Amino acid sequence: MLSVENLSYTYPGGTEAVRGIDFTIEKGEIFGFLGPSGAGKSTTQKVLIRLLRGFQGHVTVLGKPLNEWDDSYYEQVGVAFELPNHYQKLTATENLALFRSLYSGETHDPANLLEMVGLEEDADTRLSQFSKGMQMRLNFVRALLHKPDLLFLDEPTTGLDPVNGQKIKEIIRAQREAGRTIFLTAHDMTVADQICDRVAFIIDGKITLIDSPRNLRLQHGERRVKVEFHRDGLSSPAQQAEFPLDGLGDNSEFLEVLRNNPIETIHTQEATLEDIFIETTGRTLT
Amino acid sequence: MIGTLIVNDIKLFFRNRFFAIVTAIGVVFYLAIYFLIPNQVNESLGVAFYIEDGESMPLFQSLTEEPGDYTLFDTEAEMLTAIEESGDYFVGLSFPSGVTEAIARGEELELNAYYAPGVPAEAKQIFHDVLVLIANAANPDVLANFQRFNDTEVVLGNDMTGAPLSFRDRILPLILMATVLMEIFGLATLLTRDIENGTARALITGPLRLHEFFAGKALMGMILAFGQLLILGIVTGILGRAPLLLLTTMLLGSFLMVGMGFFVAAISRNNTSVLAWAVIALILMMIPGLSVLLPGLATGWMKIIPSYYFVDSLHRILNFGAGWADLGRNLALLLAVGAGTLAIGTAVTRSRF
Repeated sequence: MLSVENLSYTYPGGTEAVRGIDFTIEKGEIFGFLGPSGAGKSTTQKVLIRLLRGFQGHVTVLGKPLNEWDDSYYEQVGVAFELPNHYQKLTATENLALFRSLYSGETHDPANLLEMVGLEEDADTRLSQFSKGMQMRLNFVRALLHKPDLLFLDEPTTGLDPVNGQKIKEIIRAQREAGRTIFLTAHDMTVADQICDRVAFIIDGKITLIDSPRNLRLQHGERRVKVEFHRDGLSSPAQQAEFPLDGLGDNSEFLEVLRNNPIETIHTQEATLEDIFIETTGRTLT
Repeated sequence: MIGTLIVNDIKLFFRNRFFAIVTAIGVVFYLAIYFLIPNQVNESLGVAFYIEDGESMPLFQSLTEEPGDYTLFDTEAEMLTAIEESGDYFVGLSFPSGVTEAIARGEELELNAYYAPGVPAEAKQIFHDVLVLIANAANPDVLANFQRFNDTEVVLGNDMTGAPLSFRDRILPLILMATVLMEIFGLATLLTRDIENGTARALITGPLRLHEFFAGKALMGMILAFGQLLILGIVTGILGRAPLLLLTTMLLGSFLMVGMGFFVAAISRNNTSVLAWAVIALILMMIPGLSVLLPGLATGWMKIIPSYYFVDSLHRILNFGAGWADLGRNLALLLAVGAGTLAIGTAVTRSRF
């Protein structure tokens, strides 16, 4: 679906934003592109959505080199930017209708899209009266308007409350189930962990690691379980103990803790994506 | 696709309360000004007289042999009030008793000349000289040696004798230009907002191409500017005068405003600076319009302001019957400046996407 080989991009001022990155995305995959601000995420996305030309390397999208695509490229891809970019003096329906009228292929009914993200009651409200979260939801569904095969989503849950954030994640998963491919740029590792099939860490214009979140957690986490319990009844202070995951069912010390003491929590000690990012890049995501 | 964009931009333009009011009410306002301004010129000079002594009547009669609008008042007070309040007289003369005898004796005269407010010094001097000549002519001694001459009148340029330009005719080119000047601000604002709010980027990551985006904006500006000129042209009834040339001039004037709108958008960093740059552009572009009202203001430097060629062309078509051959250079300059500013504006703004 999308193949990037040795991609580099240098801005006219001389700033080398992307330095020879390689990755591929399979059809029906959600691929997370993770990194801190200024790492090269947005530049890569801008190259892929053809806002930036003059890159080095080889990029193939939907079976055709990126440079060889004509205007029909945008009939195949959908883009949602990190910040809402709508006509503030138009209503939500008018905004979607304007963009819908530009596409020649089959499109969604704006009313259905607005209902999908809970904006149906605000369909005829001007965008200037929308909150940032509402504008983000509209941003998101606008990218789905023309039923594209490939979606570029930049921080799709930023500014959303947990309920709407969850709704957007469910829609993204549903898009994958419908066979669409999603390139998701994010610095929120939790979102990436929850919905991405694979993630790539990018820092200083280079990809340092690509794998599925599950594999990364397994590879970089500790194979141990941490138990919090009360040795002398619930009124006593909680104590902690860690046990190796291997052979846990035969670990008599672990079994004794479980049998004889009130348990407060039990957790496996797998690493979070954020821990892995810090461990592998030596940098934080801020 | 461009059509969709134009319809959307026009919708956005009129949803901006300021632009909607300035555009819609502006046309009505300018038309009201046009029709309220008198369309006739009173070329006669009103001169008021008061003669204290009936014996001076022959002198009055010799004075009034020249063309003019002369009124003899019964009292000096009535004459002064009329000069000050009616606005019909530019000067009033009060002849004391014994004037005729004093002239005949060749004595120095003391006459009071009462001028209306605002009469220029040159006019006062001319009237004084005419008075001296007529008074001397009334003196038989002077008359004997009076030098007479015949002159042949040659008018350079358009001879407007008998067909003077009314203030209404004179102001019309200025009104036409002022109407479309606001489009510079409107277009620059729409362009800058599209870039600043990211809607331009959203559009071009859809099927709309960059050149279609700019073409849509330029055509929208042309439609608004030319549409307003057309309405003014129809209502004022000027389209009957050299219609093709007039419409071409209007079209090129609209094109100039579109180019300037793109240029203002290019030099503005955000919506706030659009306002500042647009105000400067509007003031500059308005200056040549004043030369139509006050021809003495037209100087060489004014011709570096491109709107000069628009307002000058309108003025010459509407008021002096100029033709294609007379205006070819003006129209070519309008086209060149419009295309140049449009190209610069497009190149600079596209780099901000």
